[in-house]
Amino acid sequence: MALFKKKDGAGYKQSRLFFATDIHGSERTFRKFLNCAKFYKVDHIIMGGDIMGKFLVPIVHEHDSHYRVTLQGTTETIDGADALAAIKERIETLGFYHVTVQEDELHAMQADQAQIDAKFRQLARERIERWIALADERLEGTNVKWYVTGGNDDQPEVLTVFDEVRSEHVVNCEGRVVMVDDLYPTANCGYSNPTPWDTPREVDEDSLEEILEEAVQGIDDFTSAIFNFHVPPYDCTLDDCPKLDWSTDPPSPIVVAGVAQSAPAGSTAVRKVIEKYKPLLALTGHIHESRGLVTIGRTTVINPGSEYGEGIIRGCIFTLQPGKVVGYQMTSG
Amino acid sequence: MEATAAKPEVFSRKASGLSRVMSPWSAFIYNFLTMGVIFPWTFVWAPEAFPGVAVWMACLFATLLELPIALAYVWMATAMPRSGGDYVFQSRVLGGAIGFPIVMSGFVIWILQWVALAGWLFANLGLAPLFLGLGVHYNSTGLINAGVWAEGHQGVVVTSIIGAALMAILLVTGFKNYVRLQYFMFAGTGILVVIMLAQFLRTSPAQFAVAINHFNGIVDKNPAYYTWLQHDVSSTGFKLFPKFALGATLLAAPIAWTSTQWATYSVEQGGEIKGARVFKNQMFIIVGSLIAVGVVLALIAWTEQRAVGTGFFNAASASYYGAISASGTGIGKVYPFPGMFAIIISPNPIITVLAAVSFMLASLQITCNCYIGMTRVMVGMSLDRTLPAWFSKVNSRYRTPVNAHLVYFLLGVCAIVGYSYVTKWYTITLGVTFACGYVFVLSCLAAALLPYRAKALYEASPGAKYTLAGIPLVTILGLIGFVAGGAAVVAFLVKPAYGLTGTSPGLTYAIVGGIFVFSVVIYWIGRYYQKGKGIDISYAFLEVPPE
Repeated sequence: MALFKKKDGAGYKQSRLFFATDIHGSERTFRKFLNCAKFYKVDHIIMGGDIMGKFLVPIVHEHDSHYRVTLQGTTETIDGADALAAIKERIETLGFYHVTVQEDELHAMQADQAQIDAKFRQLARERIERWIALADERLEGTNVKWYVTGGNDDQPEVLTVFDEVRSEHVVNCEGRVVMVDDLYPTANCGYSNPTPWDTPREVDEDSLEEILEEAVQGIDDFTSAIFNFHVPPYDCTLDDCPKLDWSTDPPSPIVVAGVAQSAPAGSTAVRKVIEKYKPLLALTGHIHESRGLVTIGRTTVINPGSEYGEGIIRGCIFTLQPGKVVGYQMTSG
Repeated sequence: MEATAAKPEVFSRKASGLSRVMSPWSAFIYNFLTMGVIFPWTFVWAPEAFPGVAVWMACLFATLLELPIALAYVWMATAMPRSGGDYVFQSRVLGGAIGFPIVMSGFVIWILQWVALAGWLFANLGLAPLFLGLGVHYNSTGLINAGVWAEGHQGVVVTSIIGAALMAILLVTGFKNYVRLQYFMFAGTGILVVIMLAQFLRTSPAQFAVAINHFNGIVDKNPAYYTWLQHDVSSTGFKLFPKFALGATLLAAPIAWTSTQWATYSVEQGGEIKGARVFKNQMFIIVGSLIAVGVVLALIAWTEQRAVGTGFFNAASASYYGAISASGTGIGKVYPFPGMFAIIISPNPIITVLAAVSFMLASLQITCNCYIGMTRVMVGMSLDRTLPAWFSKVNSRYRTPVNAHLVYFLLGVCAIVGYSYVTKWYTITLGVTFACGYVFVLSCLAAALLPYRAKALYEASPGAKYTLAGIPLVTILGLIGFVAGGAAVVAFLVKPAYGLTGTSPGLTYAIVGGIFVFSVVIYWIGRYYQKGKGIDISYAFLEVPPE
């Protein structure tokens, strides 16, 4: 297929890639992500980490067709099938999971953290399985691949779904080097440096550096390499976020004289590895509010940000040729 | 669905979160200050433009005029809580080919006029009253001369450029610096409002006459100024005591809209407001600040007119705004602004300094607003690739878009110099109200069309559940806002009393039209340039279908 790709004046093949990240379980955002291949006319789609949702919303069956649900701080009474379907769709758009329970089942869950954890894993795995099937259905008849890796919020036992479910179009990249569009060796890592939330896949900077060094093994020439690392490099403006008090649960913004303080939250290990190997492109995410693009040496570093809760797919379209970023465009679809 | 009290019935797992830095209260303050409650436009302009007007009532009508617009913005702000506000709303709903030129011309270019105006306000409402007030108190010719200099072209230009540069540096070195200063600005505004209301409420027209005669006796050497000014104006045939006219009062509402139209400005930084997607937060921020400012404006107008007397109130407007003067002498060196009057009533150093510093802080706030809002819009345009990527480069040391600030400062300097030294420039002062007005009105249209042009976005928004007879409420409010605001915008274009087309309509139309056409051209040049790099700008404005 490469022979038929568009070539520029110098005879290089150009590839168009779409990158998005941090969709946190949002059904609507994921469906948009899949459609980006056709909509933006790109060759492949790449997803950074943090695929799993964060909240499990019980829909409590009260009586007959009456339900109760607490969403975004408000408890709502649901009456009838249409309203029930609408609230489920809203929950899924927000990236949350839902489970319909009786009052006594709710109380049982509230008293048993293990049961909640198991339910999270089960629902997350089911949603990803459904997404893989949907990807194969939507991308059928095309050469488009969905390259995917996890993030620090994703539980390892859930990410195994990507290896367990056979797919024509989904490429699980976690912890390995894959060739994107046959030309761009891509190293992938979803681990992060420590966060105030004690997430499933965070390690100290020294350990992260070891993981990253391992992740790039197998790439001999970094001229056209892509690093799909979940965390942005430290102090690069793509990692600015409110400074948080780690001692509170949940962590709270630190306010001094009425002003919320901000600080870089990226990884020194990621920065070190990027500066050492100088890849063509570094794809990051993690800090949703720090959308942007910077260069570190020859490396173009992108964080497209995330607005998964609004059902918006934030991303970036890249036009690449070996050794060069020809163009890029931030999108908000 | 029926909403009831919140109960903790949601399970969460260990996952990273997102925090926004600006609280709804802080955003409320931001809007309140942006509306410039202490600025004098309405009080010095409306009585001459529409004889028979009840200015306090016009302020309330302006609040009503803005209300549907503000409500439509609440829906939009909760549906698209992103920085870039109006640009995002319009480009996503109406398309980039409409959104870009509207926001680029109406906001980015025309708001440069506000940079100049803010400097003018700093000099005329802050610095000059400070020097004049202290000069009168201490009987110092040097201070009085300094006050007169501050009101002159040179004083205005010098202080404006210094103020614009200082605010640019403040914002470039970090948004948090501004947020800290904002509390002082809010406190200053509060103090000034209290000073003005207290001064006006405890003063009768007779007492005011004595005070202003004393003040002008020193500054303008006219110890009978109070009666002289009224006679100077009434001798031309101008009626100082016209009968109340509801029509004139309604027609004056667009003048007060100059202030209230800014109730929605917080949407430009929607991505930085905590809980921006929560309906009641946006109601508090946008509608709450609108009502608060509307009431305060009306109170200032009512108490001022009561204190200085209707005859003098109208004469001051006619002499200052309409340049109506039988003798040709005009208003003199003491400008008839409420803050100035508050100082004149009792020109002691404490009140003078408090009032002047508060005005200066409020003027600097306007300068900050210009930078904050417009640099974010420019960054948004740059990320969409409709402006070069250079504009959105974030400085690694300060974490702010330094390039965008630098460009806006330099263009602001041009506007500052032009405003003082290019005679015709002054005549299009109110072009900015008209231009920003059409941005707000088009955003109302975008709100009306939101459920149909961005269906998925609308359905995911908290406002989607509100309908009236099956019609989305945002559509109804957006259409009312579009018609009401549209009428005000058209009035500015066709009615000379609003000042925009008063002296040279041909020039005004050429400038207004030229700026819009220039913005259209920029958009299409950018679009074709980016196409050559494999970038289709239209992608930035389109919602990807989920199915």
